[in-house]
Amino acid sequence: MKTPVVILDQVDKYYPKGVHALREINLQIDQGEWTAVMGPSGSGKTTLLNLLDGLDRPTSGRIEILGVDTNRFGADEWTVFRREHIGLVFQQFYLIPYLTALENVMLAQYYHSMVDKKQAMRALERIGLSDRARHLPSQLSGGEQQRACIARALINAPKIILADEPTGNLDEENEKTVMDIFRELDLEGQTIVMVTHNPELGKLADRRIYLEYGRVTAFH
Amino acid sequence: MFWRILFDSIVRRKKRKGLAILAVWIGISLVVGLLMLSLDTGDKMNLELRSFGANIKVMPVSSSIPVTVGDYALTPSMDSSYLTGRGASPRPVILSEAKDLRSFGPLGLRMSRLHPKITPRRLSYLEESDFPKLKEIFWRNNIMGIVPRLWTEGEVNGSTVPILGLWLERRIPTETGEDFVTGATQLYKHWSIRGSWPSRGDERTCLMGVELARRFSVSLGDTLEVKGQRGSIRFQVSGIVSTGTQEDSSVITSLDTVQRLTGLEGKVSEADVSALTTPENKLAEKYRLSPQSLAPVEYERWSCTPYPENVASGIQDAIPNSAARVIRRVSETQGAVLTRIKGLVFFLAIVTLISCSLSIMGILASAVLERRPEVALLQAIGAERSHVLTFFLVEVALLGIVGGFLGGMTGSWIGQELVQAIFASKANDHLALVILSPFLGLGVASLGSLRPVLQALGEDTAQVLHGN
Ligand SMILES: Nc1ncnc2c1ncn2[C@@H]1O[C@H](COP(=O)(O)OP(=O)(O)OP(=O)(O)O)[C@@H](O)[C@H]1O
Ligand SMILES: [Mg+2]
Repeated sequence: MKTPVVILDQVDKYYPKGVHALREINLQIDQGEWTAVMGPSGSGKTTLLNLLDGLDRPTSGRIEILGVDTNRFGADEWTVFRREHIGLVFQQFYLIPYLTALENVMLAQYYHSMVDKKQAMRALERIGLSDRARHLPSQLSGGEQQRACIARALINAPKIILADEPTGNLDEENEKTVMDIFRELDLEGQTIVMVTHNPELGKLADRRIYLEYGRVTAFH
Repeated sequence: MFWRILFDSIVRRKKRKGLAILAVWIGISLVVGLLMLSLDTGDKMNLELRSFGANIKVMPVSSSIPVTVGDYALTPSMDSSYLTGRGASPRPVILSEAKDLRSFGPLGLRMSRLHPKITPRRLSYLEESDFPKLKEIFWRNNIMGIVPRLWTEGEVNGSTVPILGLWLERRIPTETGEDFVTGATQLYKHWSIRGSWPSRGDERTCLMGVELARRFSVSLGDTLEVKGQRGSIRFQVSGIVSTGTQEDSSVITSLDTVQRLTGLEGKVSEADVSALTTPENKLAEKYRLSPQSLAPVEYERWSCTPYPENVASGIQDAIPNSAARVIRRVSETQGAVLTRIKGLVFFLAIVTLISCSLSIMGILASAVLERRPEVALLQAIGAERSHVLTFFLVEVALLGIVGGFLGGMTGSWIGQELVQAIFASKANDHLALVILSPFLGLGVASLGSLRPVLQALGEDTAQVLHGN
């Protein structure tokens, strides 16, 4: 039986100056599903993801996540909700530059609940970064930084992982490593929403949503 | 974890944090330095101005009787109220048989140039032993310098010359247990002396007035024989002095020496006193116009304010048979100039404080705005706004405190150097300023970053992170 994790109902998003970035989006994402959001540049993929993680708000329509209507959230409520249930991976591998890979992971623990160094270390081990745990981001390669970001996104066992072109800035080899991690997560039943340009990567997902001019044009 | 992040943030970004600290450091240094200078200006200017001489002249009562010389009226411009009804009959002393006696009146007139020939009927003296009492009167803390002087004469190379004896340096014990040190070397700092003051304890050195030196072709280091009524002394000239007044044509040495040489032990013909005074204001004027018009409270206030007249009359009461006269011009400018300059330096310090604060704020603001992605990221991974704000403010406060502390240190050093350079004297201790400066740094730094941090927090997190 499928449990809906995300439900979008008639969601519209306007940016200032009248840019209509998303139009009448109706969408359901189920638990354990790996969804790829695809489409040309400027079609609204990032915008859609930002509505799901609460960094941005819809202009109209309803967004229900884990059965909660997120429209009622204030900024700090969204922050709390996000750190409880959502893990974020960005295209640029944002890490705090003066904290080591391990400390960056522990920071997410700190904001979520309690710092547990052993657990943070296990998260890094899992993505093959344990020998780089005490390196600063500037001492890590792009692929290693992105893996640290994934470890950080996973550390609090989120219900949903949102990734915006997680391999957009990586070479092929690193792209493969990252996708292997995602595949593994998918097998474990992790709900993942991933934005990508790359049809090859899109094929890995359970389901693909195509966007064009802010509209959903196809599901596969 | 909070402190760990903070620690890492500072230790692993030494260069940037160093820059912020440096900005605060330099700013606070300047401010503390200037504030110190402005706080010291009052004291030091007082000292400086005091070195421009006495502002109260003390004379025997009889000397204040008008004397006319040709067309010049040598009237001491004395308020007759000073001649208090003491039935003053100062001991008259007939001075010498000399027919050609120059009187070097206590009036500050350039008599040496006029060469007036006066034959005073009598000269009177004050008692030297009365002067230490000035440190016991009501105004004792306002009395900053006392130089009793004895004008007499002696013979050099067969001609009669004026001789001036004065306290070179004298220690007067006071009730506080600390000696009050005064004398000509301190009060007449403005005298221009080629060479040096007669050495203390050595009775065989003297200063020579520049005109007299020219007349006798005496130069520095020469010796000359001075004959008095009680013997003669061979002096070595330790300095040639030029004051622009009657000292220029006299031999000047210590009071004791002159007293012994002329048999006038314990006698003084006048005294210069330097006192800290308050410029006359409305209240003083009101009193002058009509003493009766003052209410009791006003009278109380008037009588406790060190107006020049009040201090002078206190001195006059303490020294028997004396009349104390205010040298009005000097004491008035003293107060007025002082207030103005003090205000000016304080104004400068405040302007510096403001401009330094602004530039520190500017530097910190750009440092915070540079970290916008960090602010956005912290929020994205679950930091509430208040947490981010606290984190940034605590960090910047620490930097501010460190910068302020360093600034307090170097600032007080700068202040000392400034005071040294400008007033050639040691700066007072301003511990309060040094203690205050870390807080000043904290305040300026926190104020400087508050706005940019709030601004960074208010920014569209999504936009910053996704780089649209
Ligand atoms: N903050 C913003 N203000 C105004 N317009 C915006 C803003 N962010 C995005 N847009 C516009 O909204 C539309 C959708 O942008 P979005 O970033 O969602 O596209 P995308 O599908 O993620 O593109 P890409 O593949 O290039 O990342 C675009 O036309 C974009 O110019
Ligand atoms: Mg995008």
